[in-house]
Amino acid sequence: MNAFEVPEVDYDQYTNRQLAAVPLAVLALAILILVGWSLFVSGSVASPGAPVSPGIDFTGGSELTVVTSMSQSEVGDAFQTEPISVQQAAEGAEADVVGEGENQYIVRFQSFDTESLRDQAQSADMQLLSSSSTSATFGGDNQLTAVVGVLIAFAGMSAIVFALFRSFVPSIAVVVSAFSDIVIPLAAMNVLGIELSLGTVAALLMLIGYSVDSDILLNNHILRRSGSFYESVHRAMETGVTMTITSLSAMAVMAVVASFFNIQLMASIGTVLVIGLAADLMNTYMLNLSLLRWYKFEGVNR
Amino acid sequence: MSGLRDNWRIILLVVLALGSTVTLLVPGATVATGDNATAQPDGANASAAGITNLQYGIQLDGGSRIRAPIVGTTAENVGIQPVGAGDETNETIAIEDELVSQLGVDPVDVNARAPNEPNADGTVEVYSENVTQAELAAALQEQGYDVSESDVRDGVTRATRDEMVEVIDEKLSQSALSGGSVQSAQSATGQNFVVIEAPGRDINELRSIVASRGIVRVYGGYAADNGTFVRQQIVSREDIDGIGNARKVDGRQGYQVSVTIRDDAVDQFLEGVRATGLDEPNTARGAISCEYNAENPNQSSGKCLIASLNNEVVTAKGVSQGLVGLFADGSFANDPTFVIETNTREEARNIELSLKAGQPLPAPLDFQNAQTTSLEPALADQFKTNSLITGIIAVLAVSIAVYLRYGDPRVAVPMIVTALSEVLLLLGFVSAIQFPLDLSHIAGFIAVIGTGVDDLIIIADEILQREGVATGRVFQNRFRKAFWVIGAAAATTIIAMSPLTVLGLGDLTGFAIITIVGVLIGVLITRPAYGDILRRLVLDEEERSE
Repeated sequence: MNAFEVPEVDYDQYTNRQLAAVPLAVLALAILILVGWSLFVSGSVASPGAPVSPGIDFTGGSELTVVTSMSQSEVGDAFQTEPISVQQAAEGAEADVVGEGENQYIVRFQSFDTESLRDQAQSADMQLLSSSSTSATFGGDNQLTAVVGVLIAFAGMSAIVFALFRSFVPSIAVVVSAFSDIVIPLAAMNVLGIELSLGTVAALLMLIGYSVDSDILLNNHILRRSGSFYESVHRAMETGVTMTITSLSAMAVMAVVASFFNIQLMASIGTVLVIGLAADLMNTYMLNLSLLRWYKFEGVNR
Repeated sequence: MSGLRDNWRIILLVVLALGSTVTLLVPGATVATGDNATAQPDGANASAAGITNLQYGIQLDGGSRIRAPIVGTTAENVGIQPVGAGDETNETIAIEDELVSQLGVDPVDVNARAPNEPNADGTVEVYSENVTQAELAAALQEQGYDVSESDVRDGVTRATRDEMVEVIDEKLSQSALSGGSVQSAQSATGQNFVVIEAPGRDINELRSIVASRGIVRVYGGYAADNGTFVRQQIVSREDIDGIGNARKVDGRQGYQVSVTIRDDAVDQFLEGVRATGLDEPNTARGAISCEYNAENPNQSSGKCLIASLNNEVVTAKGVSQGLVGLFADGSFANDPTFVIETNTREEARNIELSLKAGQPLPAPLDFQNAQTTSLEPALADQFKTNSLITGIIAVLAVSIAVYLRYGDPRVAVPMIVTALSEVLLLLGFVSAIQFPLDLSHIAGFIAVIGTGVDDLIIIADEILQREGVATGRVFQNRFRKAFWVIGAAAATTIIAMSPLTVLGLGDLTGFAIITIVGVLIGVLITRPAYGDILRRLVLDEEERSE
């Protein structure tokens, strides 16, 4: 009757080591990418840089949205200040603000002197739709605040998880999965060229909330319910995979639609969550599960 | 009666949903008071105000926002004798006068405050970028105060920040920027800044209003014997009682603002007038003529009534025959009003607004280190429509996924309806408190739908296990089990989001608030109600099969 059923995985076939190997390898690869980024892309071995590429929210800079009949390269040349990037909005996404033969562009600058940038745009006959600027000091502040925010959120989540389960292995399993759920999208952002913005930080924080859902569900079914281990796993998976797939589909749709409409904040939140939720499926049902199985069958007896 | 008792969660949900609909749609149903309630400038907000009571922020309605620190250096722990709250003492005045000559700054840029309590210390602030911490410490040491460099920090005192907010607020309400707002905030690193918002307005407009300190001074000027042109201040803001509107001068080119001198300041004013010779005509017709040379004031000739704004001379004009007469015989005191004439309407308007703001901005804003956002209403409208479409499509995606999973519309439809009612309640909440919605909040709404549906799936799977739910006890038991997971997940989400509500991360703060409120509404109201809905469903089925 149901159009999609959560498949019953025959976990018996795999050892705990085999199960844990895949997510741990992916996590290792992700960390490698972040470290490599810090040592070779954004910085050097002598002075490591940021493991991700911070956007203008964090480095300081300006962003203008303009409408003009100029081509992409003409827009870049029209400014005396060299832009970092000129990005064209998807065609057809613009509402009534764009006339015949005109395009909407997002132009980014290192400079945060919006007054002069706005003047330059206007003297080049561009229609200005928006401007925003962040000074380097504000950006630096944001960066610190964001890192502190994510760390506090993570620590708070860990504390709650430990308080809920009150035993080390199941709790640390959740925390490690959540950690991996955040690190994998961070590395993926580097690969996909997504900059760290306030929006992506929000997405990482949402991931902490989302990813813990399915882990708590799995732990709860295995540790607090009657029934055999595999029965519990199957029940938890039925619910948990449905949850994650549902969220995943919503976020995938949001990412696609929002990038079509050029709403960057929502697009980047969507993209990061899609990657994070996919990572969560793997981490919950391979990493967390193998740790729990070890705990249930071997660890408890020690 | 038992029906009522068993279904109270559903009833509560329905009541709250109705209440939210009313708050959202019925005009005037919100509890908003003050600025926000009347914050609808004509045109810009008209379309939004038409359908719902929702307030929109800059990103969804257009407008400008500036976040800027305040320029200043503060010395704390300065041993000034205490006085009653905020009063100036001879000591603070002496410190200020001395600093002006020591540091070469404008008198408005120094502020010494005596402590309010017996054993506390005072503070000394300098509002200038050109004075370093070391210079301020050295100057105070020279005056004999025991101030080390570690007592001096960047930034201004809380009292000054509060004054800044007050004055900017007054400036905004005096200007045509209706719905503007200002508040002070602090970043995680402890830096203080002010956040100024103006819905529907251009950033240049907003900047021009808050960038000006609004220090208006009126001088008498005359060519002295030694060949210089002497300027002596005869009016400051405190001496002024009434300010007219900027308007065109009758019959001539130019604009004017009328200014009335306070009764008890008139004598002092007339003294200044006499000292600068503005009561003695220098033309045959009995008026005073003025040839002011803006490039090189010392080459000016004649006598002038000079008005400056933020230490820049805006206008320097002669005095009419009639006014010279009133100055000469002292009858000016009967009706102590004169006009400041300017060449352009903008100059007159700037003087008017600066005077009407009551007091000048205590300190300048640091635009070099500011963060600005400005959106045209057209783009904001585009965002509004498109993010709505995005949201609807995301909800459709969730609905399809849920339907495909359960196949049974009697499970899936209430699930989607419940999730949507969660959004409705949240919308009712934000419109009730007149919380201005921005793009990041829409992301919060989507997060709420996401976690909401997740939780409903947990409830559904738990309650719809193969064995029946014939007795209330079984239902209660299962519901409690499901709720343990939901509650645990909600607690982690709330903990994860709560640092963002206090860290000044701008856009993310609202996102976190929406998510937390949404999760609370979900866990306390809508998700339990869904459990009841499912129980009815299952019970009905069992009754039928019997």
